[in-house]
Amino acid sequence: MPRGYIVALFCATGVVSMPASGAEPIKIGFPIPLSGPTAVYGEPVLKGAELAVSEINAKGGVLGRKLELLSRDSKANADEAVRLARELIIKDNVDFLAGTLTSAEAPAVSTVAKENKIVFIAPTSKSTILTDPAHIHPYIFRVSSNTDVEGLAGATLVARWKDVKTVATIAPDYAYGRDSIAAFKASLKKLRPDIQIVDEQWPKLGEPDFTAFITAQMGKKPDAVYCSLFAGDFVTFTKEATPRGYFKAIANRMVDGAEVGTTDEAQALGGDYPYGIISDSYDPVIFTGNEPPEHKKFIEDLKAFTKAKYASGWSIVGYQAIYALADGINRAGNTKSDDVAKALPGMTFDTPVGKRTFSAKSHETFAPEYWGVMVKEAAYPFAVMQNPELLPPSTETN
Amino acid sequence: MTGRRRATLASRIPWTLIVFLAAATVPWIGSRYDTFLASQIVIDALFAVSLNLLLGTTGLVSFGHVAYFGVGAYVCGILMKTYEVPFVLAFPAAGLGAALFALVSGYFCVRLQKLYFAMLTLAFSQIVWAIAYKWNDVTGGDQGLPEIPYPDLDWMSAIPGFGDLRIGDRFYLLTLVLVALSIAALRIITRSPFGRMLTTIRDNPERAAFIGLNVRAYQLAAFVVAGAFAGLAGALYGLFSRGVFADYVFWSKSAEVIIMTILGGMDYFWGPPVGALALVWLNQQITAYTEYWPFVLGAILLVLLFAFTGGIVGGIVAGFRFARYRLARRDA
Repeated sequence: MPRGYIVALFCATGVVSMPASGAEPIKIGFPIPLSGPTAVYGEPVLKGAELAVSEINAKGGVLGRKLELLSRDSKANADEAVRLARELIIKDNVDFLAGTLTSAEAPAVSTVAKENKIVFIAPTSKSTILTDPAHIHPYIFRVSSNTDVEGLAGATLVARWKDVKTVATIAPDYAYGRDSIAAFKASLKKLRPDIQIVDEQWPKLGEPDFTAFITAQMGKKPDAVYCSLFAGDFVTFTKEATPRGYFKAIANRMVDGAEVGTTDEAQALGGDYPYGIISDSYDPVIFTGNEPPEHKKFIEDLKAFTKAKYASGWSIVGYQAIYALADGINRAGNTKSDDVAKALPGMTFDTPVGKRTFSAKSHETFAPEYWGVMVKEAAYPFAVMQNPELLPPSTETN
Repeated sequence: MTGRRRATLASRIPWTLIVFLAAATVPWIGSRYDTFLASQIVIDALFAVSLNLLLGTTGLVSFGHVAYFGVGAYVCGILMKTYEVPFVLAFPAAGLGAALFALVSGYFCVRLQKLYFAMLTLAFSQIVWAIAYKWNDVTGGDQGLPEIPYPDLDWMSAIPGFGDLRIGDRFYLLTLVLVALSIAALRIITRSPFGRMLTTIRDNPERAAFIGLNVRAYQLAAFVVAGAFAGLAGALYGLFSRGVFADYVFWSKSAEVIIMTILGGMDYFWGPPVGALALVWLNQQITAYTEYWPFVLGAILLVLLFAFTGGIVGGIVAGFRFARYRLARRDA
């Protein structure tokens, strides 16, 4: 019967579609989580990228062509990010890729970039496997930090506490947490061989109840704690740890290397923030002094662009990724990924918080981050970073 | 009389061959994106047909069919990436691995009935997901296994007209041939005496047992065969997506394939492939206009379930029957 005919008919209609033509703007595909629990990071990163695109276009674009950002919701999911990246390349004919958030998404999208020979700039993933010798390829670049840099900065800060003899760690049990703690321990061993790691706790990512981990860690009586919990996990953890006297027991000597020093995290915790701990942020947003003038302007523009009262500490990485790419295109003189991939290694570009350079060998910027004690400030209803300090000072780790 | 003559004429035309040949021209006449979509449709079609051996033919509602798809994807991916096994060995191994897992899980599942059977299949698929998500050393955990190499398809250059095809196009053609062979095998199985026994079990398990059929053994056999072909579809999907991720095994994918099957019509052998085609195509078209794709899908399902219980194919067949009936009456 004509059942087969119907199938053929469907095939025919499915196959007809329009090929994109006349690639006037330079298209940048940007898969990033815009729904789910990590959207709170994805959205500000995208806003930063959008701000950079609108600034560049207002000045006439790159090589006389406008930039066009094609953002897609990756749902913080490696599978979805790969699917979107391929669709952006094959269907939308993007010239470049930027974006992704988690340490699962970025390495997965990197393989798509490699296979399709498209330059990909990762703004947030810290996973070392993104650019380690086994995975590096000509088209992958990273503007964010990595876990080795983070671990070194964290260990430097812990090492400054001369009377600390015992340290405990707590981190989410997945790739980022494991890498981050391993890097911290390696750096600390070099800086302060006398310090002992007395306890390691590994709650799962998205752990709903930290009670068991908190009491177990307190039982070991560490002098200080290195922590890699972030986002909602850090909020839950803090709300359970404070009433049990966890922070009091360690005299607030905690260093968290997972960007809980951002205004975003501080606002999420409000008055519940464990004041006195040290944490990091790519952009402290609120400088109590020594603010670079470019940064002041960036924050003003960002606030106007997002119409938010306080700017996000995450937008800067999206902003940097787009400017780095635009500089690379200018330097290459065309939009061919092969030429841009040759222009980027060794290239220095400006950011609102100083110059960054892509290492010629590892395509990393080894971006230092701002670290500081999170304190109560009368002018703000949330914790603010005191005297932000760029760490590690020397960004040579490998 | 005219009605019957028309039917015989239509049935003499080798429709399946025409569809296959039409699908094979996609890399030449369509864009790169068309090939991309067609690959997805073809792989989903095999996955849905394998599910329908349980759903439509045997009457077993499995909520965990994605487990076998996932096992196949991981077996093929791990063999090809970690152990550099060639595709000719890794592909059948994926089917075999999925069949073995289906044998073990099916042994327990067929002991239960209806909702309890469905829940147990769901439980097994969640176990596979948890293992895939946690066993970092083997499955890559939440980072998955990216960068699975394409099979070596350079030999295709020797075929005239294939020389300037991209690797993605070549892989699509390979996929099309393998899926066509797999679906043909499933068609033969469904039409064999074994397949008829499965239908008997679906329609009346008590009676089937009464006439001496070992109902559980037949159900288990159907479960294993369906699992094996789902594994083959998974192996192809892992290669097509250039990586295997834990999300492939998440339960929501099981729901997706059930929707495909019902959308196309589970009472017809060709229903699931039509459902796969419709779902992938609709998803592409509708998400271009609105982000509320689940809303549209829900509305379509609602209409289908109330008005056309036979799905798309069922609706079309009913339409043709009605038209033929009217024509026959006019002729008389």
